[in-house]
Amino acid sequence: MGCCIPMFAQTKADDVKTFTLKNGMKFLVVEDSSIPNANMYLFYKVGSRNEYPGITGLSHFFEHMMFNGAKKYGPKMFDQTMEFNGGANNAYTTQNVTVYTNWFPVSAMETIFDLEADRISSLAIDPKMVESERGVVLSERSTSLENSPWSMLGDAVNATAFQEHPYHWTVIGYENDIKNWTKEDLERYFKTYYSPNNCVVVVSGNVRVDQVKQLAEKYLANIPNGPAPKPVHLVEPPQTGERRVTVQKEVPTPYMMIGYHTPEAKHKDYYALSILNSILSNGNSSRLYSSLVDKKQLATSVFTDFSESFDPNLFQFYLESAENVKEADLENAVYEEIEKIKKDGITAQELQKIKNQKLMEFYAQLETINGKSNNIGTYEVFFGDYRKMFDAPAEYSKVTADDVKRVANEYFKKSNRTVGVLKTNVED
Amino acid sequence: MLRIKKMKKITSYIFSALALFALSLSVNAQTKQAAFKVPAYEKFTLPNGLTVYLMEQHEVPVISVSAILPAGAIYDGSKSGLASLTASGLQYGTKSYSKTKIEEELDFIGASLNTYASKESAGLSSKFAAKDVDKVMPILKEVLVDPIFDKEEFEKERKRVLTNLDQAKQSPRNVISSYWDKFIYGDHVYGNSLTGSQATVGKFSIDDLKAFYAANYSPKGSAIAVAGDFNAKDMKARLEKLFGGWKSNASGQQNLAAQNVPAPTSARILLVNKDDARETTFLIGGLGIRRDNPDFVAIEVVNTVFGGRFTSWLNDELRVNSGLTYGANSRFTPLKNAGTFAISTFTANKTTEATIDKALQVLDSLHKKGFDDKTLASAKNYVKGQFPPRYETAGQLAGLLTQMFWYGFDESFINNFEKNVDGLTATKSREIINKYFPKDKLQFVVIGKSEEIKKIAEKYGPVVTKEIKADGF
Repeated sequence: MGCCIPMFAQTKADDVKTFTLKNGMKFLVVEDSSIPNANMYLFYKVGSRNEYPGITGLSHFFEHMMFNGAKKYGPKMFDQTMEFNGGANNAYTTQNVTVYTNWFPVSAMETIFDLEADRISSLAIDPKMVESERGVVLSERSTSLENSPWSMLGDAVNATAFQEHPYHWTVIGYENDIKNWTKEDLERYFKTYYSPNNCVVVVSGNVRVDQVKQLAEKYLANIPNGPAPKPVHLVEPPQTGERRVTVQKEVPTPYMMIGYHTPEAKHKDYYALSILNSILSNGNSSRLYSSLVDKKQLATSVFTDFSESFDPNLFQFYLESAENVKEADLENAVYEEIEKIKKDGITAQELQKIKNQKLMEFYAQLETINGKSNNIGTYEVFFGDYRKMFDAPAEYSKVTADDVKRVANEYFKKSNRTVGVLKTNVED
Repeated sequence: MLRIKKMKKITSYIFSALALFALSLSVNAQTKQAAFKVPAYEKFTLPNGLTVYLMEQHEVPVISVSAILPAGAIYDGSKSGLASLTASGLQYGTKSYSKTKIEEELDFIGASLNTYASKESAGLSSKFAAKDVDKVMPILKEVLVDPIFDKEEFEKERKRVLTNLDQAKQSPRNVISSYWDKFIYGDHVYGNSLTGSQATVGKFSIDDLKAFYAANYSPKGSAIAVAGDFNAKDMKARLEKLFGGWKSNASGQQNLAAQNVPAPTSARILLVNKDDARETTFLIGGLGIRRDNPDFVAIEVVNTVFGGRFTSWLNDELRVNSGLTYGANSRFTPLKNAGTFAISTFTANKTTEATIDKALQVLDSLHKKGFDDKTLASAKNYVKGQFPPRYETAGQLAGLLTQMFWYGFDESFINNFEKNVDGLTATKSREIINKYFPKDKLQFVVIGKSEEIKKIAEKYGPVVTKEIKADGF
């Protein structure tokens, strides 16, 4: 939008300026003066896929510890200093990445650099803070299980679909790992994964590139570079037969998930699968909503999810059953829709619809400075180049109806799926 | 839908409806830039009484529409949930478009359309590519002006709603505010639940929706705001043509919400039993403020210190110092004629008592000690610094315009925000604490496993118990 600043045309790939510090930390900067604010998103290429049994959940716990004190700014001072200067922050951890997000009035930018530099160069791991943070994370784990049946079911489906690859365990980690990891585990994690060359930084807002570069040189360039972390070598073997898992929880009607193994973000089939995802569940005119929720009334809601990932992951279906529906009827209705696409493909009209929707999504990503940083960073990290974000509308428009039919046949096979059901009565 | 994501803190816990005008506001005092201002807009009223706002925004080729109508849950009467079903029912088909046709047309061009009710009002929001304006605007017009309330579609939706009502009760977080409003407001219409219950929704007929629409949807008392990539002159002509002929037979609504809300006379506890609860979710507080309270901004600054940000006293004590919870906060929820204030958090069953006690201690120290100048300065910087991103997109701005209409404030709220924040003195903040933050006669709504926590709850006052599975709130 714009207040007080002349309107300007939408962002293009060339509007993203980049530089890399001598220690390998890469910066992407977007100048956008529409509001007097800016943000800084730091993407570290570490997530639960880098863990192993014994330290499951450590990436996420570590994310919390990054707020608990370093050399210059001790415990609590990171947040106190940032908020005193008008800034706010959050952070999130996924299977693949850990992302730190700072939102601030642009006047506070130097302070933000100082705060980030302090914790990246000299984090202090205070045993007292480790103990109180364990309680926080156990509460986070518990509140998610308390408030969403999807959380329990999703954990079970991942654990069943992945038997060797680290996507087997949850991002939050096993309860007993949370209770048992040590200060040494945390220190080793920091050394291994928090080297500047394992981080991509995106800054968007009312900033100038030269100003960002100057601050980056001053605060971050002298932090030494570490060795590149060891790549994750575990590869999930091909699934050779359908797997099923049942979870007990008292719920009014059953919850169902179906997951098919699909490739990583850089794979050539990514765009066709992403379109297939929208065909299935985007909007009330989508295949699954219109059939299962509207016409047959077997489900009260249906969603599908296919997201960017470093390693091959799952294309997931989420269904909430309507009352008095047989599970088999609900499940078979999903397969019936899948078979229609495998056999007859999709219509030209449907394909055009999704391409139109993708273009609207692209605009939405560029509408805010936070959308810019988050999406530019995501494309840089997952697709290897931020320019791919600006190429996405063209990539989608290249996908044909035959491509969509082909990927449906390739991945939506019975032997490649895991089905999970969460319900009250699991004994009958 | 479900990203596997674990975060430092919950970003929107329960209170998203308020976020639009809550908590935070303008440019940092240290900056030398021009203050954050509402972009230019045009406001006019059609002869039929419909108020229109137009704001050109050209950063992306997109248009956002927001409408607000006096048709919220306060008009439900005994038919709890009716406002909400009527608002969704606007999309069950219109004079010229079937439900399926609306969905196909809009999905095809990637346009969004939501119709919904809130406590006081009903609303519509839509977003679409600027090039599709000729296609979308006539649909929006018919949805608001010419809905037909198809019976078959209604029956399908009703079934889904009935299942959703049961599902919602699986999550204390989803339902605690409904229990809270009922407990605090009692028989006042602000106690009406938005969702209704099995017993009420199960009985509606399509005629109830039609009657609710006829009684409450009218151009007079409503506003429509359009923000985005268009020419204001053309858009004005378009809206006059589309909405100029909207006539309504709705005869003057009664101002049901004007009735006084009595202040609590003693401490009370509502314990909602959930047998399988692994944690206790609770709210503690009492009455709050009306949206037009002249101290609105000052209250938000003070609440920032107490429970409105990560370093707030509540979160610092309950999360950072003691690890009792993943998050604790406090908030005012202002409506036109009244409002509530609540401390909000959750904790494991076995730490319920320690957590409630600590929350009460923090409230007590706010009253006893107040805060120093440095803390006040920090809160001021924070609310100013976090303000502009709330009004960054065309959709957010269209929403702001309809909020202005509804609550009767204008752009001075935003344009003078920085000044109003800066004007808050230590003395005034002390007055704000005394006047608006409850000190005694506290009200508690606690959802958890009664067997383990009932004795604890009784420590704080007389306890009324409900079963979470029982109908309604």
